[in-house]
Amino acid sequence: MSRRFVALSVVAIAFLVVVANTLFIVEQREQAIITRFGEPMRVINPPQSPDPGLHMKTPFLDQVIRLDKRNQSLEADQEEIVAADQERLVVDAFIRYRISNPLQYYRTLRDERGAGPLIERLVNSSLRQVLGSATSADIISGHRGALMQQAKIDVARRAATARFGIEVIDLRIKRADLPAANQPTVYRRMQTDRQQAAAQIRAVGEQQKREIIASADKEVAITLAGATETAEATRGEGDALRTRIFAQSFGRDAGFASFYRSMQAYEAALGQGDTTMVLSPDSAFFKYFERGPGAK
Amino acid sequence: MPWNDNANPGPWGSPPPGGDDDRPPVKRPGGPNRGGPRRPEGPEVNAFFDRLARQLRGMFGGEGGRGIRPGAFAAVLLGVFGLWALSGLYMVQPNEEAVVTTFGAYSRSEAPGLRYHLPAPIERAEKVAVTSLNRVDVGGAAGADVPEESLMLTGDENIVDLDFSVTWRIANPSRYLFTLRDPDLSVKAVAESAMREVIGKTALQSILTNGRGQVQIATAELMQRTLDAWGAGITVVEVQIRNANPPQEVVAAFRDVQSAQQDAESAKNEANTYRNRVINEAKGDAARTTQSALAYKEQSVREALGDAARFNQILTEYKRAPGVTRERLYIETMQRVLARSNKVVVDSKGASAPIILPPDAFRPRTTAAAPRGLDPAAPAATASAPPVASQPGPAQ
Repeated sequence: MSRRFVALSVVAIAFLVVVANTLFIVEQREQAIITRFGEPMRVINPPQSPDPGLHMKTPFLDQVIRLDKRNQSLEADQEEIVAADQERLVVDAFIRYRISNPLQYYRTLRDERGAGPLIERLVNSSLRQVLGSATSADIISGHRGALMQQAKIDVARRAATARFGIEVIDLRIKRADLPAANQPTVYRRMQTDRQQAAAQIRAVGEQQKREIIASADKEVAITLAGATETAEATRGEGDALRTRIFAQSFGRDAGFASFYRSMQAYEAALGQGDTTMVLSPDSAFFKYFERGPGAK
Repeated sequence: MPWNDNANPGPWGSPPPGGDDDRPPVKRPGGPNRGGPRRPEGPEVNAFFDRLARQLRGMFGGEGGRGIRPGAFAAVLLGVFGLWALSGLYMVQPNEEAVVTTFGAYSRSEAPGLRYHLPAPIERAEKVAVTSLNRVDVGGAAGADVPEESLMLTGDENIVDLDFSVTWRIANPSRYLFTLRDPDLSVKAVAESAMREVIGKTALQSILTNGRGQVQIATAELMQRTLDAWGAGITVVEVQIRNANPPQEVVAAFRDVQSAQQDAESAKNEANTYRNRVINEAKGDAARTTQSALAYKEQSVREALGDAARFNQILTEYKRAPGVTRERLYIETMQRVLARSNKVVVDSKGASAPIILPPDAFRPRTTAAAPRGLDPAAPAATASAPPVASQPGPAQ
């Protein structure tokens, strides 16, 4: 009884071991190469023919090598690149790729640890070449997109030639900056540029101020002059009317008018008490004073 | 796994008191020295083993004894199987979606609720928070600036210090899980790259002032395009510029431009103040001038009319008696004039020498303003010399 139990157990365990060594799972996000004694036999779940799930292999003889199937990124080291116009730029780029041909990848690069430096070197030399023939202005602003596309194609071509077995999905320049040593120069330029702008703004303000003041002064002068003009004309009218009135009135008897007006003037001019008169007794006023009541 | 769970005793029953591990003790690695300091040693350990062995034997019918009891064995197997089957129950939270894989291959997505998948080695469920918004800060989070992320070259080759955040969410869980190896990091890398590309096409002034919205939109679009091209299954909800400043080193110069604008404004304001004051004053002055001219005109006309009327009246009467009136007017006027004046009456007839008048005679009559008759104590000149100043008109 117990012997049978032990035998059964042994068989069951052996069965389990064999099954565990035969069946294997290839996940959605990975692809696998089956090798027999190190020689690749077949590929499971490559991008061209997706087939994730449970798979079988010859137990013990076959080995499963798993590779990532997803889109992965590799950041290239920051690099100083001399653009076509001799300006230096620090460029930071990353590449996104996917293992598209696992067999090639496995043969050429073996695994990620082997792939990283090789791909990075390839990216760097591509960037150097593509960006080296563009001006810094193009790299920074004008044609960054086109240059990235160009570099991507170049990397893809080189990767294909080198049989990396990868598909380059994208290559993007993350940063393209001036080297740290150039920053103070840029800052100085920005500073002087702003100072110039500030001075200009202040000068324009001052100009406007003076213009406003000048125009105000002009307006004042014109207003006052206009008022004077009107005022003098008015006074003239008044004088003219006065003259006409007097002329009409006095014209009726010029002799009496002259006498009458003289009397008024004497009174106004001499009758203020501040005059000392030296009179002769033979003036008309003193007619009776001198000659008595019989004077004629 | 339930058979490893203390709270869920397996077919071997509860772990014996004192044992803190329910695995079969034979599997425990190491000897007594490897155990924790509190672990019982020596005879106590042996007693524990004995007890466990007895229990096991009781379950399976003993070693050399009556053989396996089939019923018990089947029950145990059934129990194990049942627990295993139950381990496929799981909850999907309202903000989540579950992606179920069968032997690693994508099979279906599950909505929120209590769900079931075939137990562990066959099917697995990965839960992804689809409605939650994720946020990436570039250029450093608040208070911790990362200059190498935040300093960017603008289109006019200036440098701007710019921090921004990207809000994104998972649009397609299976793509999110299976397409990108490092989706979260990718979002940040794409954000940086896109923002720099957009900033590289924009002038500094525009970034600092009114171009921000445009930059945000362009960056979000570029990010979305890139991520879609990768098949990332990610939606960029928003790109938000938190901070866009000139670099520290030149901030002062930029501020000065702003204060220059203020200066210019205030210069203009001063000038306008002056203008308003001066012009209104001038208008007032002008009004005064014209008004006084009008007053003058009116006054002279009225006075002339009055004088003329008076003259006309007198003339009428004068015509009736010209001689008398003339005489009377003359005398009355002389009276009024002489009454208020200093008078010196000199008879120059027969005078052989100039008459010297005392200076007092020429003093204005201020002290005696009121005329007291015709005699203000004016000294009648007694000297008989003709005065230098006098022209004693020989009126006759």
